[in-house]
Amino acid sequence: MNDSERNLTSAINLSLREFDDLEKYFSKLEKLVLFPTESQNSARLPVLKDYLIEGVGPLFEELGYKLEILKNPLSGCGPILLATRDEGAALTVLGYGHGDVILGQEGLWKKGRDPWKLEIDGKRVYGRGTADNKGQHLTHLTALKSVLEVRGTLGFNHRFVIEMGEENGSKGFRQLVQERKKKFSADVFFASDGPRSEINKPNITLGNRGVLNFDLLCSLRKGGHHSGNWGGLLANPAIILANAISTIVDRKGRILVDGISIKKIPETVKTALQNISRDGGKYAPEIDSDWGPKNRSIIEKVTASNSFEVLTILSGNPDSPVNSVPPEARAACQLRFVVGTNLNEIIPILRSHLDLHGFNNVTIEEPASSNRISFEASRTSPDNPFAEWMQAVVSKASNSQCGVLPNSAGSNMTEVVQYDLKIPIVWLPLSYTGCSQHAPDEHILIPLHREGLAIVTEVYWKLGDKTEGFKTSATKTKLTT
Amino acid sequence: MTRDSVIAHTQSYFDCGLFETEIGHLVSIKSQSQIKEGLPECLMYLTNAMIPSFKKMGFSTKIYKNPVEGGGPVLLATRIEDPKLQTILGYGHGDVVLGFDQSWTKGDGPWKTSRDGDRLYGRGTADNKGQHLINMSALGSVISIRGKLGFNAKFIIETGEENGSRGLREIIESNLEAFSADVFIASDGPRVRHDWPTVSLGARGGLNFDLTCALREGGHHSGNWGGALPDPAIILANAISCIANKTGQIQIKEWLPPAITPATKELLKNIKLDGGPSGPIPVAMWGDPDLSSAENVFAWNSFTVLAMSSGNPEKPVNAISPTAKAHCQLRYIFGTDINNVLPSLRLHLDTNGFSNVSIAEPPEENRGGFMASRTEPSNIWSFVVRESIKRTTGIQPAVIPQMGGSICNDLFTDLLGLPAIWIPHSYSGCSQHAPNEHILLPLCRNALEIMGGLYWDIGAETK
Repeated sequence: MNDSERNLTSAINLSLREFDDLEKYFSKLEKLVLFPTESQNSARLPVLKDYLIEGVGPLFEELGYKLEILKNPLSGCGPILLATRDEGAALTVLGYGHGDVILGQEGLWKKGRDPWKLEIDGKRVYGRGTADNKGQHLTHLTALKSVLEVRGTLGFNHRFVIEMGEENGSKGFRQLVQERKKKFSADVFFASDGPRSEINKPNITLGNRGVLNFDLLCSLRKGGHHSGNWGGLLANPAIILANAISTIVDRKGRILVDGISIKKIPETVKTALQNISRDGGKYAPEIDSDWGPKNRSIIEKVTASNSFEVLTILSGNPDSPVNSVPPEARAACQLRFVVGTNLNEIIPILRSHLDLHGFNNVTIEEPASSNRISFEASRTSPDNPFAEWMQAVVSKASNSQCGVLPNSAGSNMTEVVQYDLKIPIVWLPLSYTGCSQHAPDEHILIPLHREGLAIVTEVYWKLGDKTEGFKTSATKTKLTT
Repeated sequence: MTRDSVIAHTQSYFDCGLFETEIGHLVSIKSQSQIKEGLPECLMYLTNAMIPSFKKMGFSTKIYKNPVEGGGPVLLATRIEDPKLQTILGYGHGDVVLGFDQSWTKGDGPWKTSRDGDRLYGRGTADNKGQHLINMSALGSVISIRGKLGFNAKFIIETGEENGSRGLREIIESNLEAFSADVFIASDGPRVRHDWPTVSLGARGGLNFDLTCALREGGHHSGNWGGALPDPAIILANAISCIANKTGQIQIKEWLPPAITPATKELLKNIKLDGGPSGPIPVAMWGDPDLSSAENVFAWNSFTVLAMSSGNPEKPVNAISPTAKAHCQLRYIFGTDINNVLPSLRLHLDTNGFSNVSIAEPPEENRGGFMASRTEPSNIWSFVVRESIKRTTGIQPAVIPQMGGSICNDLFTDLLGLPAIWIPHSYSGCSQHAPNEHILLPLCRNALEIMGGLYWDIGAETK
């Protein structure tokens, strides 16, 4: 064992010692959980800023980061913290976390748990934000602290973003970054959010599916008309809309529109996905292998394919139906898509598809404002040097084969990093799919978190290592598939 | 004492404002049969409004209590002039749909008639208070001029039509002799066009059912699962698209009636539907492409999705919804193999890969369930009525094999075995079943003339 290896071991041990004093470690997390940072609840707007100033800000300051709180360009949306530590190093790393959480859902937690308090119950630690994302960025802060204590420096420059509106569609984030590209510029992106794909195996995730929500509306007239007097004469918007949907996606969920389906999965993606599968956890829904694109594995369906969903549909008065031809029918729809489909081409493609099939009476509308999300798809190529370097580091750190998910099935702000900052992206998710993220009883698993902390410590250590560290020159090639 | 005098009598009844006064009184009774609070008003409609009017015309009256819990009472008014004469059975319903008091934008709300130009607004003006008032007044005119009708008359006023005419079958079944007649002549529903007198020989039936695709409990995150987890709304949309195509054409051949006969085609040849300026605009390309619009609605079956829902449309979230449901209806004509509709639907869904879509009972409050029925166009009474209307108006009336809507017509055709002729006095833009229900006053005047002439002619012929 050389000096570097010995020091790495010290750093990891330091992290683990910190963690193993569970009461002390989780009291730190509880301080963060205590802030009810619900970004979907406008009454919480002041709390979002408090979290940055009183919650997470001091933790960065302790580590010698300079803090800057950036006002969101959109009113009603939370601010963003940019914590910067410049060491004049060759490599600059961009980190990310989000301090906002989804609604607390007070009263719905089992055993009367309070979402804003931390409760350790056996191997589980309950509380809103433990998994998504407060617990994960606290892990990073703890790892960074250990590296700094052992090495004295990180060995790289670090910019760490804490966003306060991720659960509300990251509104304003892109604009904010675009206006300050220099401040956010870095060579690589490394952060943690979301669940591992399989509970027993770490994986890195290199991007996200994009998403576009829109409504399909067939609005033919004002008011309903007697289905006896008019049935057979008046076009029925529900029947038209059902037929329109059936030309977009068939009864097996297969997208029928050229240009918004992925015909062929890139070889690098296919290869990466051979070594990773989907562990849905105990409460996972039953999967129908005959749903979605033909001849693809489940992991290929959710991470390497586009999927069309009808989130809601409404026509007439379903609660108290009457015998009349309804005036309109509306479906709230969603396309999840991967690299290869471009966000701004989706609506024009759908429009011409509908016209071609005789559905010019079906319009494409803005979705409800409460659910108006759109993100571009992102993906760093699995053979990108940073992705390969990270896979090797995580494999070694975990003493296992680290899986590579070319992109996750869900959607988030990764596109801003990919398309505005143009750097390779590696997420290292620290939670697991059964963590009840976005539901009551959100929790983390103590052993999993402990393992994650060790891995993150090793990644930061190696990022700053003079010999084994990642060389920026390697990033200039092959950014996306 | 001539035919012209009876028509003049109906005109002066209308012109002196009596018709408007009387209908105003009828509308003021809030006889809503779909709510419990309306039941006493339904009874009051019979005792305070109908019985005095019939008594004045020399009818005896009897109220039949409804055997179905919550069903409104039924009045039978009878005037027998001579047992040897023919008996004409009339019908009307004194109940109305809900007032929707807050939603009226015209007139004075549902319970007070209000005139605006040619329109008279109020709940029940068109459906059906105005229509049976016209027929009763015409009977009164004939009695005034001739001193008698010249035929025997029976008149049913039920108070539960808007709630499915529950109990009426049982009442008639138990009192077949009291309700017996030689022909049924009554008024409900719209003319094919406001200025074209219309004769309808039957009614479409209505079969309601739900289609449900229920896959699991609770929603699942569309990001984590989209592409792997079946979406019930997509499945249901595809299922509906294999029942009726994008122009509403039924795709299940077992659902279709026998081909339209040349006689029916001839009747409907010149008929174009027109809901008036405020009515909806029919779509020429809807329904069966080989049929005219009139054939599609008066002589063919149609599939309607009345309501449909999946997920939480009020507040959509990014989740794959667990279930999707459509509340559906088949309006069908006499001759359709109605007992085979649901079995053939099941088979059709299974054959097309929709075994995950189930056919369920419709909700309690909207069960449908009217049977289709019709009198053949060649029936002698259809000629008698058509000739009489032509004589009064100078116009050959539109004859439709059945009205698009559904009513308890089968009680008269099948249970009582009568030819049944409907002479509708409303028009399709009347906002029946909606706020702003109204009648057209010139149409009412014309209808009074027609009915006066018709009752006169029947009394003359059977002399």
